[in-house]
Amino acid sequence: MVNAMVEINNYSVQLGKFKLNQINLNIGEKEIFAVLGRTGSGKTVLLESVAGFYRKFSGKVMIQGIPVIDVPLEKRNIGFVYQDFGLFPHMTVFDNITYGLKIRKMDKGVQKERVDKMAEILSIGHILKQYPGTLSGGERQRTALARALILNPQLLLMDEPFSSLDPATKENMYEQINKIHDIFGCTILFVTHDFNEAQRMADRIGIMVNGELKAVRKSTDLFEWCQDEEINQFLGRNYEGSVHE
Amino acid sequence: MRWKISTFDFFEILTIIITFIVIIFTTALILAIVLKGIPYLGAAFYSEEVRFSIRLSLYTASIATLICMLLAIPTAYALTRTVFPFKKACQMIIELPLSMPYLVLGLSLLIIFSSDFGKALKELGFKVVFDKNGIIIAQTVVNLPFAIRFIRTAFEEVDERLEFISGSLGATKWERFITITLPLARNGIFSTIILTWSRALGEFGATLMLVGATRMKTETLTTSIYLNLATGDTGASMASATVILIISLLSLFLTNWIGRKNKQESRMKDVNRW
Repeated sequence: MVNAMVEINNYSVQLGKFKLNQINLNIGEKEIFAVLGRTGSGKTVLLESVAGFYRKFSGKVMIQGIPVIDVPLEKRNIGFVYQDFGLFPHMTVFDNITYGLKIRKMDKGVQKERVDKMAEILSIGHILKQYPGTLSGGERQRTALARALILNPQLLLMDEPFSSLDPATKENMYEQINKIHDIFGCTILFVTHDFNEAQRMADRIGIMVNGELKAVRKSTDLFEWCQDEEINQFLGRNYEGSVHE
Repeated sequence: MRWKISTFDFFEILTIIITFIVIIFTTALILAIVLKGIPYLGAAFYSEEVRFSIRLSLYTASIATLICMLLAIPTAYALTRTVFPFKKACQMIIELPLSMPYLVLGLSLLIIFSSDFGKALKELGFKVVFDKNGIIIAQTVVNLPFAIRFIRTAFEEVDERLEFISGSLGATKWERFITITLPLARNGIFSTIILTWSRALGEFGATLMLVGATRMKTETLTTSIYLNLATGDTGASMASATVILIISLLSLFLTNWIGRKNKQESRMKDVNRW
Protein backbone atom coordinates (compact mmCIF):
# COMPACT_ATOMS: atom_id res chain seq x y z
CA MET A 1 0.00 0.00 0.00
CA VAL A 2 1.30 3.45 -0.91
CA ASN A 3 1.30 6.23 1.73
CA ALA A 4 -2.22 6.95 2.95
CA MET A 5 -3.67 10.34 2.09
CA VAL A 6 -6.91 9.60 3.95
CA GLU A 7 -7.25 7.29 6.95
CA ILE A 8 -10.66 6.69 8.48
CA ASN A 9 -10.73 4.63 11.68
CA ASN A 10 -13.97 3.45 13.35
CA TYR A 11 -15.72 6.64 12.28
CA SER A 12 -19.41 7.03 13.17
CA VAL A 13 -21.67 10.05 12.98
CA GLN A 14 -25.37 10.31 13.84
CA LEU A 15 -27.52 12.72 11.80
CA GLY A 16 -31.13 12.53 12.97
CA LYS A 17 -32.26 8.96 12.30
CA PHE A 18 -29.39 8.24 9.93
CA LYS A 19 -26.11 6.85 11.17
CA LEU A 20 -22.84 6.50 9.33
CA ASN A 21 -21.59 3.43 11.11
CA GLN A 22 -18.04 2.31 11.97
CA ILE A 23 -16.28 3.33 8.77
CA ASN A 24 -12.74 2.08 8.24
CA LEU A 25 -10.96 3.10 5.05
CA ASN A 26 -7.51 4.05 3.75
CA ILE A 27 -7.05 5.97 0.53
CA GLY A 28 -3.57 6.23 -0.95
CA GLU A 29 -1.80 9.29 -2.32
CA LYS A 30 -2.77 10.11 -5.92
CA GLU A 31 -5.40 7.36 -5.83
CA ILE A 32 -8.84 7.86 -7.40
CA PHE A 33 -11.38 6.29 -5.08
CA ALA A 34 -15.11 6.04 -5.76
CA VAL A 35 -17.80 5.53 -3.15
CA LEU A 36 -20.72 3.72 -4.70
CA GLY A 37 -24.13 3.40 -3.13
CA ARG A 38 -27.84 3.99 -3.44
CA THR A 39 -29.43 7.36 -2.66
CA GLY A 40 -29.52 7.77 1.13
CA SER A 41 -26.78 5.22 1.77
CA GLY A 42 -24.51 7.85 3.36
CA LYS A 43 -22.10 8.61 0.50
CA THR A 44 -22.30 12.38 0.85
CA VAL A 45 -22.05 12.18 4.66
CA LEU A 46 -18.87 10.12 4.26
CA LEU A 47 -17.44 12.71 1.86
CA GLU A 48 -18.35 15.58 4.19
CA SER A 49 -16.87 13.64 7.11
CA VAL A 50 -13.55 13.39 5.28
CA ALA A 51 -13.67 17.16 4.80
CA GLY A 52 -14.32 17.60 8.54
CA PHE A 53 -17.83 18.99 8.14
CA TYR A 54 -19.32 17.46 11.30
CA ARG A 55 -18.60 18.47 14.87
CA LYS A 56 -20.07 15.51 16.77
CA PHE A 57 -18.72 12.10 15.82
CA SER A 58 -16.74 9.16 17.14
CA GLY A 59 -13.59 7.67 15.62
CA LYS A 60 -10.98 9.40 13.53
CA VAL A 61 -10.53 10.90 10.09
CA MET A 62 -6.95 11.77 9.25
CA ILE A 63 -5.47 13.46 6.22
CA GLN A 64 -1.76 12.78 5.78
CA GLY A 65 -1.66 11.46 9.34
CA ILE A 66 -3.21 14.54 10.97
CA PRO A 67 -6.79 14.46 12.36
CA VAL A 68 -8.79 16.61 9.96
CA ILE A 69 -10.59 18.53 12.71
CA ASP A 70 -7.26 19.54 14.28
CA VAL A 71 -6.50 21.61 11.18
CA PRO A 72 -8.51 24.83 10.63
CA LEU A 73 -10.79 24.47 7.61
CA GLU A 74 -8.91 27.16 5.67
CA LYS A 75 -5.63 25.27 6.05
CA ARG A 76 -6.82 21.76 5.10
CA ASN A 77 -5.99 22.15 1.39
CA ILE A 78 -9.07 20.21 0.29
CA GLY A 79 -11.02 20.90 -2.88
CA PHE A 80 -14.74 20.21 -2.54
CA VAL A 81 -17.20 19.94 -5.42
CA TYR A 82 -20.83 19.50 -4.36
CA GLN A 83 -23.54 17.77 -6.36
CA ASP A 84 -25.19 21.14 -6.99
CA PHE A 85 -21.68 22.62 -7.37
CA GLY A 86 -22.06 25.25 -4.60
CA LEU A 87 -20.99 28.19 -6.74
CA PHE A 88 -21.15 31.61 -5.10
CA PRO A 89 -24.22 33.11 -6.79
CA HIS A 90 -23.18 36.74 -6.26
CA MET A 91 -19.85 36.32 -8.07
CA THR A 92 -19.01 35.87 -11.73
CA VAL A 93 -17.37 32.66 -12.93
CA PHE A 94 -14.01 34.48 -12.94
CA ASP A 95 -14.52 35.68 -9.35
CA ASN A 96 -15.65 32.21 -8.27
CA ILE A 97 -12.52 30.62 -9.74
CA THR A 98 -10.14 33.24 -8.38
CA TYR A 99 -11.80 33.34 -4.92
CA GLY A 100 -9.13 31.21 -3.25
CA LEU A 101 -6.33 33.12 -5.00
CA LYS A 102 -7.76 36.48 -3.89
CA ILE A 103 -8.05 35.21 -0.31
CA ARG A 104 -4.34 34.35 -0.54
CA LYS A 105 -3.75 37.87 -1.89
CA MET A 106 -2.06 36.47 -4.97
CA ASP A 107 -0.81 38.88 -7.61
CA LYS A 108 -3.50 39.75 -10.20
CA GLY A 109 -1.24 38.78 -13.08
CA VAL A 110 -0.67 35.34 -11.57
CA GLN A 111 -4.41 35.03 -10.95
CA LYS A 112 -5.17 35.72 -14.61
CA GLU A 113 -2.45 33.37 -15.77
CA ARG A 114 -3.82 30.53 -13.63
CA VAL A 115 -7.42 31.19 -14.67
CA ASP A 116 -6.44 31.20 -18.34
CA LYS A 117 -4.69 27.84 -17.91
CA MET A 118 -7.66 26.36 -16.06
CA ALA A 119 -10.13 27.83 -18.55
CA GLU A 120 -8.21 26.18 -21.36
CA ILE A 121 -8.14 22.77 -19.66
CA LEU A 122 -11.85 22.90 -18.82
CA SER A 123 -13.05 24.90 -21.87
CA ILE A 124 -14.74 27.67 -19.88
CA GLY A 125 -13.01 30.72 -21.32
CA HIS A 126 -16.27 31.95 -22.88
CA ILE A 127 -18.25 32.06 -19.61
CA LEU A 128 -15.81 33.84 -17.29
CA LYS A 129 -17.92 37.02 -17.12
CA GLN A 130 -21.21 35.23 -16.52
CA TYR A 131 -22.97 34.62 -13.20
CA PRO A 132 -23.64 31.02 -12.05
CA GLY A 133 -27.41 31.49 -12.41
CA THR A 134 -27.03 31.78 -16.18
CA LEU A 135 -24.88 28.66 -16.70
CA SER A 136 -25.82 25.16 -17.83
CA GLY A 137 -25.20 22.15 -15.57
CA GLY A 138 -21.99 21.22 -17.38
CA GLU A 139 -20.66 24.78 -17.25
CA ARG A 140 -21.41 25.02 -13.53
CA GLN A 141 -19.66 21.75 -12.90
CA ARG A 142 -16.55 22.78 -14.79
CA THR A 143 -16.55 26.13 -12.95
CA ALA A 144 -16.75 24.33 -9.59
CA LEU A 145 -13.91 22.03 -10.65
CA ALA A 146 -11.80 24.96 -11.81
CA ARG A 147 -12.38 26.78 -8.51
CA ALA A 148 -11.36 23.72 -6.51
CA LEU A 149 -8.36 22.80 -8.68
CA ILE A 150 -6.82 26.23 -9.13
CA LEU A 151 -5.37 25.95 -5.61
CA ASN A 152 -3.71 22.59 -6.37
CA PRO A 153 -5.44 20.77 -3.49
CA GLN A 154 -3.83 17.62 -2.13
CA LEU A 155 -7.28 16.04 -1.94
CA LEU A 156 -10.25 16.61 -4.24
CA LEU A 157 -13.66 15.55 -2.92
CA MET A 158 -16.54 15.37 -5.38
CA ASP A 159 -20.17 14.62 -4.58
CA GLU A 160 -21.89 13.00 -7.57
CA PRO A 161 -20.22 15.55 -9.81
CA PHE A 162 -21.51 14.14 -13.09
CA SER A 163 -25.08 13.28 -12.14
CA SER A 164 -26.65 16.27 -13.89
CA LEU A 165 -24.72 15.91 -17.13
CA ASP A 166 -25.80 14.41 -20.43
CA PRO A 167 -23.91 11.28 -21.64
CA ALA A 168 -21.70 13.14 -24.12
CA THR A 169 -20.67 15.78 -21.57
CA LYS A 170 -20.08 13.01 -19.02
CA GLU A 171 -17.66 11.25 -21.38
CA ASN A 172 -15.88 14.52 -21.94
CA MET A 173 -15.69 15.18 -18.19
CA TYR A 174 -14.27 11.69 -17.45
CA GLU A 175 -11.42 12.50 -19.81
CA GLN A 176 -10.95 15.94 -18.31
CA ILE A 177 -10.85 14.57 -14.75
CA ASN A 178 -8.24 12.01 -15.78
CA LYS A 179 -6.28 14.79 -17.45
CA ILE A 180 -6.57 16.92 -14.30
CA HIS A 181 -5.44 13.97 -12.18
CA ASP A 182 -2.39 13.51 -14.40
CA ILE A 183 -1.53 17.21 -14.34
CA PHE A 184 -2.17 18.01 -10.68
CA GLY A 185 -1.48 14.61 -9.14
CA CYS A 186 -4.11 15.04 -6.44
CA THR A 187 -5.95 12.28 -4.60
CA ILE A 188 -9.57 12.13 -5.73
CA LEU A 189 -12.43 10.79 -3.65
CA PHE A 190 -15.82 10.96 -5.31
CA VAL A 191 -19.24 9.51 -4.70
CA THR A 192 -21.59 8.21 -7.31
CA HIS A 193 -24.44 5.77 -7.83
CA ASP A 194 -23.33 5.00 -11.38
CA PHE A 195 -21.44 1.67 -11.66
CA ASN A 196 -20.02 2.54 -15.08
CA GLU A 197 -18.78 5.91 -13.87
CA ALA A 198 -17.12 4.37 -10.82
CA GLN A 199 -15.38 1.74 -12.94
CA ARG A 200 -14.33 4.21 -15.62
CA MET A 201 -12.84 6.69 -13.18
CA ALA A 202 -11.65 4.96 -10.05
CA ASP A 203 -8.72 2.75 -9.05
CA ARG A 204 -10.75 1.31 -6.18
CA ILE A 205 -14.41 1.41 -5.25
CA GLY A 206 -16.10 1.33 -1.84
CA ILE A 207 -19.66 0.06 -1.63
CA MET A 208 -21.94 1.80 0.88
CA VAL A 209 -25.17 0.19 2.08
CA ASN A 210 -27.35 1.81 4.78
CA GLY A 211 -24.58 3.89 6.34
CA GLU A 212 -21.98 1.11 6.30
CA LEU A 213 -18.97 0.65 4.05
CA LYS A 214 -19.67 -2.96 3.09
CA ALA A 215 -16.76 -3.62 0.76
CA VAL A 216 -13.75 -2.06 -0.93
CA ARG A 217 -12.72 -3.50 -4.30
CA LYS A 218 -10.49 -2.80 -7.24
CA SER A 219 -12.63 -1.28 -9.95
CA THR A 220 -11.86 -4.22 -12.24
CA ASP A 221 -13.31 -6.57 -9.61
CA LEU A 222 -16.45 -4.58 -8.84
CA PHE A 223 -18.93 -7.26 -9.84
CA GLU A 224 -17.18 -10.17 -8.13
CA TRP A 225 -19.62 -12.38 -6.25
CA CYS A 226 -19.36 -12.42 -2.46
CA GLN A 227 -21.17 -13.86 0.55
CA ASP A 228 -22.83 -10.57 1.52
CA GLU A 229 -26.39 -10.63 0.23
CA GLU A 230 -26.83 -6.85 0.47
CA ILE A 231 -23.80 -6.24 -1.77
CA ASN A 232 -24.92 -8.84 -4.28
CA GLN A 233 -28.38 -7.30 -4.34
CA PHE A 234 -26.98 -3.79 -4.80
CA LEU A 235 -24.73 -4.99 -7.64
CA GLY A 236 -27.63 -6.81 -9.24
CA ARG A 237 -26.31 -10.34 -8.65
CA ASN A 238 -28.60 -13.05 -7.34
CA TYR A 239 -26.21 -15.99 -7.54
CA GLU A 240 -22.60 -16.66 -8.44
CA GLY A 241 -21.82 -15.86 -12.04
CA SER A 242 -24.96 -13.91 -12.89
CA VAL A 243 -25.24 -10.16 -13.22
CA HIS A 244 -28.53 -8.37 -13.86
CA GLU A 245 -27.91 -5.52 -16.21
CA MET B 1 -70.46 22.61 -24.04
CA ARG B 2 -69.40 22.66 -20.39
CA TRP B 3 -68.08 25.94 -19.08
CA LYS B 4 -64.50 25.63 -17.92
CA ILE B 5 -62.43 27.90 -15.73
CA SER B 6 -59.25 27.72 -17.71
CA THR B 7 -57.04 30.42 -16.25
CA PHE B 8 -58.32 30.78 -12.71
CA ASP B 9 -59.70 28.15 -10.44
CA PHE B 10 -61.93 28.86 -7.48
CA PHE B 11 -59.06 28.93 -5.00
CA GLU B 12 -57.15 31.54 -6.98
CA ILE B 13 -60.27 33.71 -7.39
CA LEU B 14 -60.85 33.54 -3.63
CA THR B 15 -57.28 34.61 -2.84
CA ILE B 16 -57.54 37.52 -5.29
CA ILE B 17 -60.84 38.68 -3.72
CA ILE B 18 -59.31 38.56 -0.24
CA THR B 19 -56.27 40.47 -1.52
CA PHE B 20 -58.54 43.23 -2.86
CA ILE B 21 -60.38 43.46 0.49
CA VAL B 22 -57.00 43.92 2.21
CA ILE B 23 -55.98 46.55 -0.37
CA ILE B 24 -59.25 48.50 0.09
CA PHE B 25 -58.84 48.47 3.88
CA THR B 26 -55.19 49.58 3.72
CA THR B 27 -55.92 52.30 1.15
CA ALA B 28 -58.74 53.62 3.34
CA LEU B 29 -56.30 53.87 6.28
CA ILE B 30 -53.76 55.77 4.19
CA LEU B 31 -56.34 58.06 2.56
CA ALA B 32 -57.86 58.92 5.95
CA ILE B 33 -54.55 60.49 6.94
CA VAL B 34 -53.48 61.90 3.57
CA LEU B 35 -56.79 63.61 2.70
CA LYS B 36 -57.07 65.25 6.11
CA GLY B 37 -53.34 66.00 6.45
CA ILE B 38 -52.36 67.40 3.05
CA PRO B 39 -54.20 70.75 3.47
CA TYR B 40 -52.16 71.36 6.64
CA LEU B 41 -48.88 70.04 5.26
CA GLY B 42 -47.63 73.36 3.81
CA ALA B 43 -48.26 75.26 7.03
CA ALA B 44 -46.74 72.44 9.06
CA PHE B 45 -43.39 72.76 7.27
CA TYR B 46 -43.24 76.46 8.23
CA SER B 47 -43.99 75.53 11.86
CA GLU B 48 -40.83 75.56 13.98
CA GLU B 49 -42.35 72.86 16.18
CA VAL B 50 -43.03 70.41 13.33
CA ARG B 51 -39.60 71.08 11.83
CA PHE B 52 -38.06 70.39 15.27
CA SER B 53 -39.99 67.10 15.59
CA ILE B 54 -38.94 66.00 12.08
CA ARG B 55 -35.27 66.79 12.82
CA LEU B 56 -35.39 65.05 16.20
CA SER B 57 -37.17 62.00 14.77
CA LEU B 58 -34.74 61.63 11.86
CA TYR B 59 -31.73 62.06 14.16
CA THR B 60 -32.85 59.66 16.90
CA ALA B 61 -34.19 57.04 14.46
CA SER B 62 -30.92 57.09 12.48
CA ILE B 63 -28.71 56.73 15.57
CA ALA B 64 -30.99 54.04 17.03
CA THR B 65 -30.90 52.12 13.71
CA LEU B 66 -27.12 52.33 13.62
CA ILE B 67 -26.86 50.99 17.19
CA CYS B 68 -29.41 48.27 16.44
CA MET B 69 -27.44 47.08 13.41
CA LEU B 70 -24.11 47.18 15.25
CA LEU B 71 -25.61 44.94 17.92
CA ALA B 72 -27.94 42.82 15.76
CA ILE B 73 -25.45 41.63 13.11
CA PRO B 74 -22.92 40.04 15.51
CA THR B 75 -25.71 38.68 17.72
CA ALA B 76 -27.52 37.12 14.76
CA TYR B 77 -24.22 35.63 13.57
CA ALA B 78 -23.53 34.13 17.00
CA LEU B 79 -27.04 32.68 17.15
CA THR B 80 -26.84 31.10 13.71
CA ARG B 81 -23.19 30.18 13.25
CA THR B 82 -21.62 29.47 16.62
CA VAL B 83 -22.08 26.90 19.36
CA PHE B 84 -22.27 28.05 22.98
CA PRO B 85 -24.02 26.83 26.12
CA PHE B 86 -27.71 27.65 26.66
CA LYS B 87 -28.03 29.05 23.14
CA LYS B 88 -31.79 28.39 22.92
CA ALA B 89 -32.38 30.07 26.28
CA CYS B 90 -30.28 33.06 25.17
CA GLN B 91 -32.31 33.32 21.98
CA MET B 92 -35.56 33.29 23.97
CA ILE B 93 -34.31 36.03 26.29
CA ILE B 94 -33.20 38.16 23.33
CA GLU B 95 -36.57 37.80 21.63
CA LEU B 96 -38.69 38.15 24.77
CA PRO B 97 -39.26 41.91 24.26
CA LEU B 98 -41.01 41.05 20.97
CA SER B 99 -44.03 39.90 22.97
CA MET B 100 -43.88 42.69 25.56
CA PRO B 101 -46.03 45.83 25.30
CA TYR B 102 -43.85 48.86 24.55
CA LEU B 103 -45.25 50.71 27.55
CA VAL B 104 -43.90 47.92 29.77
CA LEU B 105 -40.53 48.11 28.03
CA GLY B 106 -40.55 51.86 28.59
CA LEU B 107 -41.40 51.35 32.24
CA SER B 108 -38.47 48.92 32.60
CA LEU B 109 -36.17 51.50 31.04
CA LEU B 110 -37.52 54.18 33.36
CA ILE B 111 -36.85 51.98 36.41
CA ILE B 112 -33.29 51.20 35.21
CA PHE B 113 -32.37 54.79 34.34
CA SER B 114 -34.05 56.27 37.44
CA SER B 115 -31.96 53.98 39.63
CA ASP B 116 -28.53 54.70 41.06
CA PHE B 117 -27.07 53.42 37.78
CA GLY B 118 -29.05 56.04 35.84
CA LYS B 119 -28.07 58.74 38.32
CA ALA B 120 -24.40 57.75 37.97
CA LEU B 121 -24.71 58.03 34.18
CA LYS B 122 -26.31 61.46 34.58
CA GLU B 123 -23.42 62.61 36.76
CA LEU B 124 -21.04 61.41 34.05
CA GLY B 125 -22.89 63.67 31.62
CA PHE B 126 -25.10 61.05 29.94
CA LYS B 127 -28.66 62.01 30.74
CA VAL B 128 -31.35 59.56 29.69
CA VAL B 129 -34.66 60.29 31.45
CA PHE B 130 -36.48 63.26 29.84
CA ASP B 131 -33.64 63.65 27.34
CA LYS B 132 -33.17 62.86 23.64
CA ASN B 133 -30.65 60.15 24.60
CA GLY B 134 -33.62 58.41 26.18
CA ILE B 135 -35.47 58.53 22.86
CA ILE B 136 -32.55 56.78 21.17
CA ILE B 137 -32.39 54.16 23.91
CA ALA B 138 -36.14 53.54 23.80
CA GLN B 139 -36.11 53.20 19.99
CA THR B 140 -33.10 50.87 20.17
CA VAL B 141 -34.57 48.62 22.85
CA VAL B 142 -37.91 48.32 21.07
CA ASN B 143 -36.35 47.55 17.68
CA LEU B 144 -33.34 45.45 18.59
CA PRO B 145 -35.18 42.11 18.97
CA PHE B 146 -36.90 42.71 15.60
CA ALA B 147 -33.59 43.53 13.93
CA ILE B 148 -31.93 40.44 15.44
CA ARG B 149 -34.76 38.17 14.35
CA PHE B 150 -34.83 39.52 10.77
CA ILE B 151 -31.05 39.33 10.36
CA ARG B 152 -31.00 35.88 11.97
CA THR B 153 -33.51 34.76 9.34
CA ALA B 154 -31.41 36.38 6.61
CA PHE B 155 -28.29 34.52 7.85
CA GLU B 156 -30.20 31.25 8.16
CA GLU B 157 -31.22 31.53 4.53
CA VAL B 158 -27.58 31.64 3.43
CA ASP B 159 -26.49 28.12 2.51
CA GLU B 160 -23.85 27.16 5.11
CA ARG B 161 -22.25 24.84 2.57
CA LEU B 162 -21.17 27.93 0.61
CA GLU B 163 -19.36 29.16 3.71
CA PHE B 164 -17.84 25.69 4.09
CA ILE B 165 -16.62 25.76 0.49
CA SER B 166 -15.29 29.27 1.04
CA GLY B 167 -13.38 27.96 4.07
CA SER B 168 -12.02 25.03 2.08
CA LEU B 169 -10.73 27.60 -0.43
CA GLY B 170 -8.70 29.25 2.33
CA ALA B 171 -11.05 31.87 3.81
CA THR B 172 -10.96 32.46 7.56
CA LYS B 173 -14.26 32.76 9.46
CA TRP B 174 -14.09 36.55 9.19
CA GLU B 175 -13.37 36.37 5.43
CA ARG B 176 -16.24 33.89 4.96
CA PHE B 177 -18.55 36.29 6.78
CA ILE B 178 -17.44 39.32 4.78
CA THR B 179 -17.28 37.69 1.34
CA ILE B 180 -20.10 35.12 1.49
CA THR B 181 -22.54 35.46 4.40
CA LEU B 182 -22.90 39.23 4.40
CA PRO B 183 -23.26 39.72 0.61
CA LEU B 184 -25.75 36.86 0.34
CA ALA B 185 -27.79 38.22 3.25
CA ARG B 186 -27.58 41.81 2.00
CA ASN B 187 -31.20 42.06 0.85
CA GLY B 188 -32.40 40.95 4.28
CA ILE B 189 -29.98 43.33 5.98
CA PHE B 190 -30.96 46.35 3.86
CA SER B 191 -34.64 45.59 4.45
CA THR B 192 -33.97 45.28 8.18
CA ILE B 193 -32.16 48.64 8.22
CA ILE B 194 -35.05 50.38 6.49
CA LEU B 195 -37.69 48.61 8.57
CA THR B 196 -35.85 49.33 11.83
CA TRP B 197 -35.50 52.98 10.86
CA SER B 198 -39.20 53.28 9.95
CA ARG B 199 -40.23 51.56 13.17
CA ALA B 200 -37.91 53.78 15.21
CA LEU B 201 -39.48 56.79 13.53
CA GLY B 202 -42.93 55.60 14.57
CA GLU B 203 -42.00 54.52 18.12
CA PHE B 204 -44.12 56.12 20.81
CA GLY B 205 -45.02 53.95 23.84
CA ALA B 206 -41.58 53.26 25.32
CA THR B 207 -40.38 56.77 24.42
CA LEU B 208 -43.32 58.35 26.22
CA MET B 209 -42.61 56.35 29.39
CA LEU B 210 -38.90 57.20 29.41
CA VAL B 211 -38.70 60.80 28.22
CA GLY B 212 -42.29 62.03 28.49
CA ALA B 213 -43.84 64.40 25.93
CA THR B 214 -42.32 67.86 26.25
CA ARG B 215 -42.81 70.36 23.42
CA MET B 216 -39.62 71.31 21.59
CA LYS B 217 -37.54 69.06 23.83
CA THR B 218 -38.52 65.42 23.48
CA GLU B 219 -41.08 66.04 20.74
CA THR B 220 -40.67 63.45 17.99
CA LEU B 221 -43.17 63.19 15.13
CA THR B 222 -45.31 60.67 17.00
CA THR B 223 -45.14 62.72 20.19
CA SER B 224 -46.15 65.74 18.12
CA ILE B 225 -49.26 63.88 16.90
CA TYR B 226 -50.11 63.00 20.50
CA LEU B 227 -49.49 66.50 21.90
CA ASN B 228 -51.41 68.29 19.14
CA LEU B 229 -54.33 65.89 19.34
CA ALA B 230 -54.43 66.32 23.14
CA THR B 231 -54.63 70.11 22.72
CA GLY B 232 -57.28 69.88 20.01
CA ASP B 233 -55.00 70.91 17.11
CA THR B 234 -56.18 68.18 14.71
CA GLY B 235 -54.64 69.87 11.67
CA ALA B 236 -51.10 69.83 13.10
CA SER B 237 -51.60 66.19 14.16
CA MET B 238 -52.68 65.22 10.66
CA ALA B 239 -49.74 67.09 9.14
CA SER B 240 -47.25 65.23 11.35
CA ALA B 241 -49.00 61.95 10.57
CA THR B 242 -48.77 62.70 6.84
CA VAL B 243 -45.02 63.39 7.18
CA ILE B 244 -44.56 59.99 8.87
CA LEU B 245 -46.66 58.36 6.15
CA ILE B 246 -44.57 59.95 3.37
CA ILE B 247 -41.35 58.77 5.04
CA SER B 248 -42.81 55.27 5.45
CA LEU B 249 -43.83 55.13 1.78
CA LEU B 250 -40.36 56.29 0.71
CA SER B 251 -38.84 53.56 2.92
CA LEU B 252 -41.08 50.95 1.36
CA PHE B 253 -40.17 52.01 -2.18
CA LEU B 254 -36.48 52.02 -1.22
CA THR B 255 -36.76 48.49 0.21
CA ASN B 256 -38.43 47.21 -2.96
CA TRP B 257 -35.94 49.02 -5.18
CA ILE B 258 -32.98 47.52 -3.30
CA GLY B 259 -34.59 44.08 -3.50
CA ARG B 260 -35.02 44.42 -7.27
CA LYS B 261 -31.53 45.83 -7.80
CA ASN B 262 -29.89 42.96 -5.95
CA LYS B 263 -31.79 40.16 -7.64
CA GLN B 264 -29.43 37.49 -8.97
CA GLU B 265 -29.27 36.79 -12.67
CA SER B 266 -31.06 33.55 -13.38
CA ARG B 267 -31.94 31.31 -16.30
CA MET B 268 -35.42 31.08 -14.73
CA LYS B 269 -36.13 34.82 -15.04
CA ASP B 270 -37.95 34.44 -18.37
CA VAL B 271 -39.88 31.34 -17.38
CA ASN B 272 -43.65 31.89 -17.12
CA ARG B 273 -45.75 30.84 -14.16
CA TRP B 274 -46.93 27.28 -14.59
